[in-house]
Amino acid sequence: MGVPAFFRWLSRKYPSIIVHCVEEKGKQCNGVRIPVDTTRPNPNDVEFDNLYLDMNGIIHPCTHPEDKPAPKNEDEMMVAIFEYIDRLFNIVRPRRVLYMAIDGVAPRAKMNQQRSRRFRASKEGVELAEEKGRIREEIIQRGGYLPPEQIKERFDSNCITPGTEFMDNLAQCLRYYIADRISNDPGWKNITVILSDASVPGEGEHKIMDFIRRQRAQPNHDPNTHHCLCGADADLIMLGLATHEPNFTIIREEFKPNKPRPCALCGQMGHEIKDCEGTAREKQGEHDEFAGSMPVSEQEFIFIRLCVLREYLARELTMASLPFPFDFERSIDDWVFMCFFVGNDFLPHLPSLEIREGAIDRLVSIYKDVVHKTGGYLTQNGYVNLERVELIMQAVGVAEDNIFKKRKEDDESFKRRMKEKRKRMKAEQQGPAFLTTGQFAPQALGRRDRPEPVQNARHQAYGMRMQAREQNNKDAAQSLKAMMRNGGNSSAEPSGGANSRGLKRKAEDSDSEPEPEDNVRLWEDGWKQRYYKTKFDVDVTDDDFRQKVVQSYVEGLCWVLRYYYQGCASWKWYFPFHYAPFASDFKDIKEMFKDFEKGTKPFKPLEQLMGVFPAASGNFLPSTWRNLMSSSDSSIIDFYPDDFAIDLNGKKYAWQGVALLPFVDERRLRAALTDVYPDLSPEEVKRNSLGSDVLFLGSSHPLFDFIQELYRTESNEGTEIPAELCHGIQGMLNLDNNPILPNETVVSPIPTLRDISHNGSIGVKFKDPQYADDFVFKAVLLPGAKIPTKVLKPGDWERGNREPWRPQLGFNPNRQQAHLDQSGFRALSHSVNRNQHSGQYSNTPPPNSYQRGHHRPSHGGGHQPFPHSRQSLLGAPPSYQQPQYPRQQQQQQQHYGGGGGGQGHGWDRAMQAQRSSYQQNMARGPGGGGAGGYQQRYEQRRDDWPERRDNWSQQHQGYSSGRGYPAPPPSKRYTWNNN
Amino acid sequence: MSALDVDDFIQQNRALAEQVETFRGYWESEKHWEARREFILRNIKDYEEQQQDQLLSLSMVWANNVFLGCRYSTELLDKVQEMAEGIVVEDAPVFKTRDEIVKKQQGR
Repeated sequence: MGVPAFFRWLSRKYPSIIVHCVEEKGKQCNGVRIPVDTTRPNPNDVEFDNLYLDMNGIIHPCTHPEDKPAPKNEDEMMVAIFEYIDRLFNIVRPRRVLYMAIDGVAPRAKMNQQRSRRFRASKEGVELAEEKGRIREEIIQRGGYLPPEQIKERFDSNCITPGTEFMDNLAQCLRYYIADRISNDPGWKNITVILSDASVPGEGEHKIMDFIRRQRAQPNHDPNTHHCLCGADADLIMLGLATHEPNFTIIREEFKPNKPRPCALCGQMGHEIKDCEGTAREKQGEHDEFAGSMPVSEQEFIFIRLCVLREYLARELTMASLPFPFDFERSIDDWVFMCFFVGNDFLPHLPSLEIREGAIDRLVSIYKDVVHKTGGYLTQNGYVNLERVELIMQAVGVAEDNIFKKRKEDDESFKRRMKEKRKRMKAEQQGPAFLTTGQFAPQALGRRDRPEPVQNARHQAYGMRMQAREQNNKDAAQSLKAMMRNGGNSSAEPSGGANSRGLKRKAEDSDSEPEPEDNVRLWEDGWKQRYYKTKFDVDVTDDDFRQKVVQSYVEGLCWVLRYYYQGCASWKWYFPFHYAPFASDFKDIKEMFKDFEKGTKPFKPLEQLMGVFPAASGNFLPSTWRNLMSSSDSSIIDFYPDDFAIDLNGKKYAWQGVALLPFVDERRLRAALTDVYPDLSPEEVKRNSLGSDVLFLGSSHPLFDFIQELYRTESNEGTEIPAELCHGIQGMLNLDNNPILPNETVVSPIPTLRDISHNGSIGVKFKDPQYADDFVFKAVLLPGAKIPTKVLKPGDWERGNREPWRPQLGFNPNRQQAHLDQSGFRALSHSVNRNQHSGQYSNTPPPNSYQRGHHRPSHGGGHQPFPHSRQSLLGAPPSYQQPQYPRQQQQQQQHYGGGGGGQGHGWDRAMQAQRSSYQQNMARGPGGGGAGGYQQRYEQRRDDWPERRDNWSQQHQGYSSGRGYPAPPPSKRYTWNNN
Repeated sequence: MSALDVDDFIQQNRALAEQVETFRGYWESEKHWEARREFILRNIKDYEEQQQDQLLSLSMVWANNVFLGCRYSTELLDKVQEMAEGIVVEDAPVFKTRDEIVKKQQGR
């Protein structure tokens, strides 16, 4: 489920599942980088056993990043990937297994989505290149400057598909990387690394799931293994829940919306490509020392704790007085199943279920209603009970009509609000109705050039007055004219106000986006008829066709659930429509599905490339194969349209819509390829073959000698891993044809990196434990599994307990909260205050005074020694508010500083006055009057009337609100902190 | 060949008609299939057994263009339109292709 909406919804509803990662950074000493010692305890207060990397989530951002300039060539991409893995390894510090899975050939069910993504990506790439070329031309003609165009080919992200040369190189590079780290990094010394590259069929995350499932079904598995899975897809959460492992954590990049991106043309931040002006790059820092560093913070990682999600779900799903015994594990499976209705990679979502509209909550409440009638759970071990599902669907169907109506209403009111907001923004942009001009003109604070004293004030004021009057007259005349032109219709408009004239109104309307046309109009009666007519081009009375769609969808639901709980049931099955039916169409579905075709085989990598690539990406294929994509004599030319329709389906942008691509006819594809198979080079034949997972480990691993012995005896049969040598991990080992062996040099595939001359690692083919075809993996907690300690506040806490509840922030319930001791405060205040020339601040009251509500008047310009202020801070109780306080001082100092000398003296006094008012404000509690911020600042610029200024500051309490600093904390909170 | 002619043809060539029926895509509605079937039947005599896939491909090019809104090269489209001469599709759906949508959104 690629929908970011799902994760957003989940993290809002269940906030405690998220824990921010603590990342220890490598240090630099005299220009030498000191790597982090990952053998040390994990700084996140938790130890993970296994780390699984869904590599495609790493490859994409490393090869074509969105928030920084793209790597120049493939070598740089590989290094970026290495660094990314290093970072993750450092955060997670797995102690047993590191499993890297790259997407291999996917089941056919995924092909529709892959096709649509690749056809779009190809077009988007061309469009971007065209736009770049056009704007570059324009800028250069205008005499602008642009960095010379790099001589590099556009990176076609479509090459991140199994079977391409790029993926082959990547696998090579990762082997080298693993060998290097095992040989040289102490943190990798004792772990088992498994690499499942693109030559092994299956999507990355599902290969990982297969591994976990097959390990936990064998008797040596440690039921308390702590798994950590890396990847941003929302379906990883479902997959993690589906394992029923109690310790399962997901790590992903923190999602930050609206991150600034560099311009694709000149590489500078702050504008988009269409606004690029080709100005010379500004120096970053005084000597351009920050060039290359981004003004954005590095992407940070978060953990998603599935055990906490399980706690939340337990609260939500637990039902009393059921006609059958409640089993929490099974209710989780049902929850996962219902999430599929809302979105997954294999089926279009039901039109009435939209995650933003609380679809999952709706489903859960329907589920709880219906479960009394169904007499049991919807699913078991990944098999669906269709009779019960029908009851759920019918209940959703009943609500469908209202859902569509409500959606329309919400949509309208949203649009209305946005329109009003735009109007408001516009009005704000226009500024205040009247602005002083000339020497009275407001001036920005903190500039070097200070305003001259006012001269001839009366005359100036007169001038301003007259000007304003003239303007008013002109406006009045104009609106009168407009009124006459419009035949008096403008009387409905509010009078006056320059922005309410007919002319302006027109301009305003023009920037509201044109509506995408919607012929379905789900909110009007007859929606079902229109939907089937517009989307499927059939009549609603065509029951047979509708049945077909429903049946396919039912099969789809069964396939997806099975895929998550048992592995790929059929490599062939797919949903052969572009749209889903309505929930109310699910009638008599019980008989619609029996089982999938057995013994289906995945596509070969190059075959799949033919199935998902547009003709424009044909360069990744051998020439005769490529020819099939473009020649009009080709017997599969219909798979490769040059352009295709997009149904916006109520959305606004092309990329949100449904791409109406034709489905691939597998028989015809295979038939066409038999003719060109002989044209493959040996290299291509190798790339087209199925590969194997490879297991690596270092010389201090207990299994090392065992594997070395296998190579020595050249045993050509598969050998079971002795469970006791590898933390109970089982599997079949086979000799690798081109193995990495200890003490044999591993040649670096990247010119900038050195060969490994002292290799200490060994590699061997690995195969997951095998089970009989009809084996069913049980979706249950394993015996001996210990449920982690609860994190959420118990519902009855208030009744039973005397202490206040302390929420748990990290993994460790007993985490020490950080405190600064006295010396810490001394050091802090010392460094914070160090830029001040003398102790002008020393006579301001210490921060604890606002607790007492005590206001000390400021004495003008006392030159008390500096240490005094530190002492006053020192006396204060330690609290988080304090460090903030001096910082604020410093900011102000920076703002007004620069004056220095005698003048600066007066300024500083102004600051004191301000501070005292600030404190007064604190004493009175939060809030304070909001007024006067602007004027107050204006006053302060002219600091020659101290008395008046004091008055000002006493009258206007709004210091903090006016300045945009955070509001002072309520005093209550402050005392709480002292407890 | 009108709809009636098609029926006649099917009556007279039972074996062939049955074979053609196997080419129906699961997703094809009655209306779409009838049109495509006519396309195949009209042209099947020009294609030998080994070239049948090519005919099927062209029939899909035509159907995708008419019912799904796909665009192919003009050469190809001209060819299939010629082959489809005389097939009546009532009330064919209207589409906006991706290029059209993107162009419109850029123009703003």
